[in-house]
Amino acid sequence: MTDIGLIAIGAGIAVLTGAGAGLGMGIATGKAVEAIARQPEAGSKINALLILGMALTESTAIYGFVISLIMIFTMGK
Amino acid sequence: MQFQMPSVGKWIVIALSLILGVAALYLRSRIPQLEKTDEGFKANKKKRNLFMMAGVLTLWLFSGLVLGCFVLSKSAFSVSISPARMDVFGLSMSSSVVMTWIVIAVFSVCAILIRIFVIPRFKETPHGIQLVLETAVGAINDLTREKYGHKNDGLASYFFAMATLFLGSAVVELVGFRPPTTDLSMTSSYALITFVMINVFGIYKKGIKGRAEAYIRPNAIIAPFKLISDLAVPISLACRLFGNMLGGMIVVELIYYALGAFSVGIPAVLGLYFNAFHPLIQFFIFINLSLTFIGEAVEEIE
Repeated sequence: MTDIGLIAIGAGIAVLTGAGAGLGMGIATGKAVEAIARQPEAGSKINALLILGMALTESTAIYGFVISLIMIFTMGK
Repeated sequence: MQFQMPSVGKWIVIALSLILGVAALYLRSRIPQLEKTDEGFKANKKKRNLFMMAGVLTLWLFSGLVLGCFVLSKSAFSVSISPARMDVFGLSMSSSVVMTWIVIAVFSVCAILIRIFVIPRFKETPHGIQLVLETAVGAINDLTREKYGHKNDGLASYFFAMATLFLGSAVVELVGFRPPTTDLSMTSSYALITFVMINVFGIYKKGIKGRAEAYIRPNAIIAPFKLISDLAVPISLACRLFGNMLGGMIVVELIYYALGAFSVGIPAVLGLYFNAFHPLIQFFIFINLSLTFIGEAVEEIE
């Protein structure tokens, strides 16, 4: 197998971090919806917290994406 | 770019699509618009919408076919993670630096103009530019107060400058240049500023001794872990912003590449999300996280 093939496989594995992030974001959104349904007047506060939590959860997926990009664009040369 | 003579079949398709599109729009204008109370209002509306859709779709096809006649030198899809270098007065500079300086210059001129011409004419009841300014300043003030406390020590003005810079970077992409935020060194410099601010505010509020004490609380064993998590903050901020912006840019470029000559109208709608809404969310998150970390550093410990 050539180097570029191995790099592509590695990049693909790195992007698998998106699965965990998706799971986490789904759980967070579900809980937020439950909380708002129970207490609609706290909606704006829960929304702000949800967006912050989403950003932190999403970052794992983003790290995988950045690492795969760096692998593709710097290792192949 | 050169004009390529289309074949006879293609000419027929082009003419047909133009005629059909214009005819559909003309027929739509002939259908009388009924009132909501009239009989058959729903069917009438459906018919009008159908003709509108048919007209727009065939005209879109026409524009794509006509643009397809111009042969562009089409290369394989490629994206670089570092922006192009350009020559500025003999200095080799990254295009993101040049773009950021242009954005800063435009905003500085706007700020000076607003200071000279608009602010002296402020009235009791806000209107026009004054309303926009007051809403924006109020929103940033509220955000910093909520996270940092009432004495916000100029943090609000710093974050307002940051917000306008982010907005400017997003607008640059709408015009067609590569946005500065898709450069890892640019986002790293933003994150380093935040890192410096976290430590400066922490030492300013609690003193060097207090800042060091925060590491050995509640136990001296966790000091290395706390140090690592503190050092990870700028890396995580930089990578998050960079990854999000580059991801959005790649998606938009892929759409342009995939649609080819037919990229009329559709990329504009998607670009509104990826180039306008997405950066706004990202800068909100960046500012929110920075404020959270600064608030954490200045937190009083009993």
